[in-house]
Amino acid sequence: MVRKSVLQILGVVLGLGMLMACGLVSPEASFAATHPEGLGAGKPVCSECHSTDVAKGALKPYATFDHTPTFVKDHKFQANQDRNTCAACHAPSFCVDCHGGKVPMKPATRLSDSPDRMAPHRGDFLTLHKIEGKLDPSSCYSCHGRANNDKCRACHR
Amino acid sequence: MKRHTYVALLATLMSASAWGQEVSLYGTTMAQMWKQDAAGTEKATYTPATQYLGIDATKLGSDNLSLHLFGWGRTDLSDQSNFDGKTAGYLNYGYLQYRFDQANAEIKAGRFTANQSTGFEQIDGVSARTDLVNGFTVSAFGGKPVLYKVVDPRNQHDYDFQHDFIFGARLGWRMAQVGEIGLSYLQDGTKAAQDLTFPSSTDYTRKRLGLDLVVTPAKAFSLQGRSVYDVSNQRTNAAEQDYTATVKLGDQVTMSGNYAERNFRFYFAGTNLPSLFRQDDGDLFKGFGGNLTWNTTASFQVVADYRHTHRETFGDVNRAGGEMRWNFNERAVLLGVSGHWANAVDTKFVDPAAPSRSLSHKEARAWVMLNKGKFTASLDGILQRYESGNPYLAGLRNVFETVASVGYQATTNVKVSGDVSFGSTPVAKHETRALLRAEYRFGFAKKGGK
Repeated sequence: MVRKSVLQILGVVLGLGMLMACGLVSPEASFAATHPEGLGAGKPVCSECHSTDVAKGALKPYATFDHTPTFVKDHKFQANQDRNTCAACHAPSFCVDCHGGKVPMKPATRLSDSPDRMAPHRGDFLTLHKIEGKLDPSSCYSCHGRANNDKCRACHR
Repeated sequence: MKRHTYVALLATLMSASAWGQEVSLYGTTMAQMWKQDAAGTEKATYTPATQYLGIDATKLGSDNLSLHLFGWGRTDLSDQSNFDGKTAGYLNYGYLQYRFDQANAEIKAGRFTANQSTGFEQIDGVSARTDLVNGFTVSAFGGKPVLYKVVDPRNQHDYDFQHDFIFGARLGWRMAQVGEIGLSYLQDGTKAAQDLTFPSSTDYTRKRLGLDLVVTPAKAFSLQGRSVYDVSNQRTNAAEQDYTATVKLGDQVTMSGNYAERNFRFYFAGTNLPSLFRQDDGDLFKGFGGNLTWNTTASFQVVADYRHTHRETFGDVNRAGGEMRWNFNERAVLLGVSGHWANAVDTKFVDPAAPSRSLSHKEARAWVMLNKGKFTASLDGILQRYESGNPYLAGLRNVFETVASVGYQATTNVKVSGDVSFGSTPVAKHETRALLRAEYRFGFAKKGGK
């Protein structure tokens, strides 16, 4: 099995190596690793400054990355496709505030001094989850469906 | 991966940070204490201490090589504990990254989250991505899936056995001012349930095909979403359709609408909690909704939202609500008020002994934050009011929690704060919690994130 795994990883690396060797790799310079100017506090509206151009690399209008309530709630698409654009402003630890995998406390407790942030599970979610799970269990699944958590198993055997 | 391998890997990675020309270290130390007065049990006191620690070390010999680590550890300072043992800890991520100057190309190795495919997966392995000519992009990852190992190993054997390797790849194509389309594949596990010593009827293997789409013909409009198909069987079955359209009307108004459809049988494929995320129900879920955001000025925002959901075996639910936010004097005072309703009167069946309407509920929340010089303060209150006869609430109708917090920014890089919260829940009639928090960061990084 180890041999099979190693071969699969090798296959991926070789495949990418071949792409480079074949000259298929884009000659464009990479997107800036860090935003050149410091941003103010609060959720940024990218299109306020970047009014007409598209984000380099992402090739999408900067307005697509405006941090509106919809964006904050539904940012998975941008995070999937344009992670390097996010990384210009956000350190990797920013994602872990909510998407930590295994965490010692719910995000709303950890961020309890920042009520302006949209941290999930504010209040007594232990009670509410019994209802939310009935109404729409798929909303729980994206974070908890793969987590092997014995606290869940205490009731959900 | 065995424990000593983890320790060796972690020690190597941490020592590698010493080579970094720019090293940022950030941590949060939290001491909590809470008293619970739960019905039918003696009063209990819990005192866990938690330490979060992260390191970003860049320019490791090369300007393009960097190291990123983040994890936490916790110990219970008293003998009473409801946790996973007296001490616990976890490495959320720890990887080396090489970022090329060209083509947004990068390679990662270590523990990280891979989300460029149809899933959101934590793996110990490698990943790579690059832009290609003519707008194409390609990315791939492979490794061992991270399992949390908090379940009795005897109960996890089948799951571990099948989840031996995870890999995925995505090929995308993007065009400026038009959008992007991507095709991805994810496979979690290479062994089938029938390969087990005692073949199981539960199969944890996942094979998924995904199509993601973003259409951005103008900055005032975008359509984004994805379709996911389960291909673990001979037939291809739709697991998820999830699409959101956003329209901006001028500088102040943003409207968005979402439609989602999920087939639980295929959407929940591979879950390790089949009793909770039931595949055998064959349930179908459909939901649609939207929200309207109005930024009347830079300091005032109104959001109204609505969502209708339908579960084939359960019924319909309508939700609606709104939120208002104020920002006075350049964030010196922030204020928010919100209210939401969930109306479940059209549900078909919850519990033979309870009326279905008992799942309907209302939620109200109000909060305020003050920033003055080095001092911060906040107050946050949330109330959930349920219909009478709710089987989950032990006779309670109102569940609430209030949190008061004060903080002091001692230096640019050090902040201390303390919270006190009080609430009432069906589990604990009265619950009082205290929390002390020290946050600190040292180094060069300008990026956000704690």
